Amino acid sequence: MRLNVDGLLVYFPYDYIYPEQFSYMLELKKGLDAKGHLVLEMPSGTGKTISLLSLIVSYMLERPLEITKLVYCSRTVPEIEKVLEELAKLNRFIEKQTGQKTKLVGLAVSSRKNLCIHPEVSQEREGKVVDSRCYGLTAGYVRARAARADTAAGDGDGADPVPTCQFFEQLEESGRDATLQAGIYSLDDLKHYGRERGWCPYFVARRAIQQANIIVYSYHYLLDPKIAEVVSKEIVQSSVVVFDEAHNIDNVCIDSMSVHINKRMLERCSNNISAMEKRIANLKETDAARLQDEYQRMVDGLRDAQMKRENNQLLANPVLPDQILQEAVPGNIRTAEHFLNFMKRLVEYLKMRLRVQHVVQESPAGFLKDIFNKICVDRKPLRFCAERLTSMIRTLELTDMADLSPLVLVSHFATLVSTYTKGFTIIVEPSDDKTPNVYNPILYFRCLDSSLAIKPVFERYQSVVITSGTLSPLDMYPKILDFHPVIITSFTMTLARPCILPMIVTKGNDQVTISSKFESREDPAVIRNYGNLLVDMVTAVPDGVVCFFTSYMYMESVVSSWYDQGIITQLQKHKLLFIETQDAAETSLALLNYIQACENGRGAVLLSVARGKVSEGVDFDHHLGRCVLMFGIPYMYTQSRILKARLEYLRDTFQIRENDFLTFDAVRHASQCVGRAMRGKTDYGIMVFADKRFQRSDKRTKLPLWIQEHLKDSMCNLSTEEAVQISKRWLRRMAQPFSRQDQLGISLLTLQQLQSEEMQNKMRERVTHRI
Amino acid sequence: MTTTEDILLQVNNVRHKKSDGTLFLMSERIGWLMGSKDTFSVSYKYADIKMQKISPDGKAKIQLQVVLHDGGASTFHFNSPDGEPAQRADRDKVKELLQTLLPKFKRKVNKELEEKERLLRENPSLLQLYQDLVITRIATADEFWAQHASEFLNKTNVKQDVGVSGAFLADIKPQTDGCNGLKYNLNVDTINSIYKTYPAVRRKFFEYVPGRMSESEFWTRFFQSHYFHRDRINLSSKDLFTDCARQDEKVIQQELQEELDDPMLDLRRMTDSTVGDGYGSDSSAVGVGQTNTATVSMIRRFNQHSINVLKASLTPEGAAAAAATPAKPQQNGQSNGEASSAAPPAERDPAAKRARLEERTCYEDLEAAPPSAGQPLSLTKVERYLSGPTPDLAQLGSEPPSASAARRLRENVLHWRPFTNKVLDPQTAVSVLGDLSPGGALMKTSHKDRNASADLPDHVKTELAAIYRSAGELLRHFWACFPVSTPALEEKVAKMEDTLHKFHQLKIQNFEDTVCRQAGLGPEVTAHLNQMLSAAYAKYESWRSLRRSLQR
Repeated sequence: MRLNVDGLLVYFPYDYIYPEQFSYMLELKKGLDAKGHLVLEMPSGTGKTISLLSLIVSYMLERPLEITKLVYCSRTVPEIEKVLEELAKLNRFIEKQTGQKTKLVGLAVSSRKNLCIHPEVSQEREGKVVDSRCYGLTAGYVRARAARADTAAGDGDGADPVPTCQFFEQLEESGRDATLQAGIYSLDDLKHYGRERGWCPYFVARRAIQQANIIVYSYHYLLDPKIAEVVSKEIVQSSVVVFDEAHNIDNVCIDSMSVHINKRMLERCSNNISAMEKRIANLKETDAARLQDEYQRMVDGLRDAQMKRENNQLLANPVLPDQILQEAVPGNIRTAEHFLNFMKRLVEYLKMRLRVQHVVQESPAGFLKDIFNKICVDRKPLRFCAERLTSMIRTLELTDMADLSPLVLVSHFATLVSTYTKGFTIIVEPSDDKTPNVYNPILYFRCLDSSLAIKPVFERYQSVVITSGTLSPLDMYPKILDFHPVIITSFTMTLARPCILPMIVTKGNDQVTISSKFESREDPAVIRNYGNLLVDMVTAVPDGVVCFFTSYMYMESVVSSWYDQGIITQLQKHKLLFIETQDAAETSLALLNYIQACENGRGAVLLSVARGKVSEGVDFDHHLGRCVLMFGIPYMYTQSRILKARLEYLRDTFQIRENDFLTFDAVRHASQCVGRAMRGKTDYGIMVFADKRFQRSDKRTKLPLWIQEHLKDSMCNLSTEEAVQISKRWLRRMAQPFSRQDQLGISLLTLQQLQSEEMQNKMRERVTHRI
Repeated sequence: MTTTEDILLQVNNVRHKKSDGTLFLMSERIGWLMGSKDTFSVSYKYADIKMQKISPDGKAKIQLQVVLHDGGASTFHFNSPDGEPAQRADRDKVKELLQTLLPKFKRKVNKELEEKERLLRENPSLLQLYQDLVITRIATADEFWAQHASEFLNKTNVKQDVGVSGAFLADIKPQTDGCNGLKYNLNVDTINSIYKTYPAVRRKFFEYVPGRMSESEFWTRFFQSHYFHRDRINLSSKDLFTDCARQDEKVIQQELQEELDDPMLDLRRMTDSTVGDGYGSDSSAVGVGQTNTATVSMIRRFNQHSINVLKASLTPEGAAAAAATPAKPQQNGQSNGEASSAAPPAERDPAAKRARLEERTCYEDLEAAPPSAGQPLSLTKVERYLSGPTPDLAQLGSEPPSASAARRLRENVLHWRPFTNKVLDPQTAVSVLGDLSPGGALMKTSHKDRNASADLPDHVKTELAAIYRSAGELLRHFWACFPVSTPALEEKVAKMEDTLHKFHQLKIQNFEDTVCRQAGLGPEVTAHLNQMLSAAYAKYESWRSLRRSLQR
């Protein structure tokens, strides 16, 4: 239908609309008008994506000068594909309504692994290997060498032809200036397009970023400076950036700027360096001019002219654009030998630092001072490390990037540590947290400030929308990401029937308090009560049941206790049992069979882990998850020094109390897990929080509003049996037929209903209901 | 007739309706023989029995009553001359046997009944037919289901296999036998479950039993083996089931290698860009601490067990096939392996993926209601539909037929010349036109009919429609019997003729007499019906006379 959202004609590709979708669009529109940033929370399964796309695309159509581009960031490949599917649907709808082809170009950008169509390279499973092999076929000097070999072969020299990628070559040859026709291109469409024309889909997509109106890609392409510099540099300022499923955005920011180095990597570094030394000696004999040429460029302080050629930019600087120096490379690392010597010293120094027996923690400044004292290395050459290494790799015409990764890592570390003095910490631990008795020193260089990586995004782009189903408490995100949104809103779900049933189970039938707190989590009584709760729920609930534990380790110990206590047997009597493991492949297989078991009516129970892969990427809609149980509160491992350092930093910089942050993080993961079960209004599911501590108000109030709303006080202190009784009654009610008529007017509106005075008033009320 | 059946129990001195006799319980029915006769005077199939009732303990008469589904009941009085205890013993024997027998038949009957009831509920026209034919006793219920609703019943006759319980291994509860040993009670079901779930064990069984060891020894070993205990880490080479475990492992590994057909679930493909070794946090955020390898392998067993159970219930014929050729897989395993490794992994089907995506992204309740799907085309002979009138290949030129037709028409019109010698003279033409106009000599009946149908009151019309439907169904069956080629058809045609007569008398005449009279309508309402019926009678008569003359 066509909607009038605050004076804007919005194309919405459905005939009915949820009231909260309309409110959502209303708020979004206001934010876009104000050219500010937004934080919007709306329950999953209420059509967030389509509301976002509808409004922004319609905005773009109506006022093409104000918003020129939509950059939609999502987290996983399936999410990206879903967004494109919805976009395609919207596009079809607009075309049908206006009766003419839209000029919109929308496309997905993904890594080479997902887009490669080269017959050999695309068979690789590892993303890194695909990248590296692609680079080995398409780098400028490889192609130059290939061209030379070709002419040589033409002359009859019989030199071996250098392999190149035919798809890339054909793209270079004929598709250089070609633009994509208007339309929506999903990953498969891009591949198809590439195959048809014999062009490389990856580079087609990369080149189309400039031209496209809508780009859908993963967070990293915008947040990780190493990739953002290569991929997203040229995206115009008047763009709207959307981070969907943004509840983990701070972790992505931090990860993209953190580095850890262990002994094995340093050993491989040394090997890299000696290999390069040999190579340089070789080159000196055969082609000294090239080295001289490189040196000259360094002196001139010009960034490599070849840098402009995007296919050469496999390696970009790990620091943010505004931090990159616009100076010449310092003298002591200009020649190749000097630089290698420099790196050698640096690696030796790091090796020395790793020889510790106790934990060392220091700031980047302290580290720089120490490195200056010990090996007389200045800050400035360190800052140029990454760039200098990139240049050298190019000069030496090295192609095997996967092999060189340790050296690249060290150079990045050097650049980062010398660039940022605030918001980072260095921790050297003699052994891993996991294996405290094995000597395995690691140097962690951790970013503590999630606002660093995202800062350029906020500064550069007109509007940034941060949205997810679970962002509560909303005021936390502006704090930790350090920005000032113009609108912060949480939307609840209008429901025609109470289709979620959140419950807090605090005790077992024997009145033993259940909790995953450290002192009692290994208590057999607690574990048994968790087991009995699960068995009882499994007996009462049809189809799929999903449980989340706080960690793999805890799940493993519980499962083995359950086996001894005979609980596993009881579970198997009712449903098939599947368990997430740390191996992604095995888990995928288990998941597939779990779904099959639910589909064919057998019913199954899946044991999974909060913060694990399943909790982040898989939806359990409808019968796949009629009940979700959260055993315990998924706190982070609080003894970790990295976490402690971060908490300290948050306290000092943003005035966030440690406990607040820890609880915030735990509860958002818990609600994320539990929210997996709800994917729409026709869906229904039980959410059991099995931990005494959930009933405290500091945890309860941090749950998303749409869960809190249904969490009555009477449901906050239940025993297992009570919970099962309530569930049974509720399930009987929910299983009744539910038709559109029941929803219409309450949680589902036609255009007429939407336009009615009464509804508009209600809508306005809802919007003003801010937190 | 008694000789063909197994007699399960025979009780003398049983009175029924005040006469003495003997009660027999046979494999499929219960019968009572009066003392002097040699045929059963009472005989019920177990399937017809709804329940049994017994007299309370304090009563003087020791009786047992069987209640039938159709509401009838028979009471048997046990009066053995040996006194009350013997009578009671007799009664209890019968009771207990009935108790075990009845449920077996009961379920079947109930299921059938339920199924039929469901069919009637879901098909209003069938229900109407049922009411017209069965309730008015034109045809019996059995006849109805066999003849008129056979296509409905057949569809639902797919047998479902019983799946494997997830906890079947745990259900075998070991019992201590008192002297430091354990006793496992295995029954056929459990063994079947084991076979279905672990085909490798079945293969082993055929390999070893009875050649190398006895059956019980085999199972003893099975339970002793680590294979049964799920936390197997170290497999001793002596163990019989070691290579079973290995084989399982291989199967799992192979499945892991294969691409998952659902891209939405493949966790390996979830993340788009890897941050790379050394960047970001390592996995420490997820779970910290040492993992116990025994537990990990136990978890893997659980997963594998569930997967096997699921597989066993999904492909019963596959499992059976595997069982039928126990030795074969080893032979062709190698060639299979080579073939699959040589072939590149097939590109996933983008269309299927797209469909899945669409399904995942679409909000059903936001969509407009889909237009109601038309009646699905169900063809009894597909080839006849496909190879209908074959188009003339010569005319299938490059241009579409409509265009060529239009062109031809234009040409024809251009060259058109009236055939003046073949037209009617004006007078005749006018009179013909007059005859064919409404009210003309040739249009009398049709015109009147139309008026009549338009004038019918609503309730008459609906009733008439129902009668038409039923009559149509019956006539269809009647005409389907021709040509009468088999004795069965002969019987049927006679039967149908009879049914038609009954229908005629009971329904149509009733309709004419009551409804039409009341509404003040003439016989013309049912004229067409009667015409159809009389056509059928005529056909039947002519066939019979023909047959008689042939027989003579």
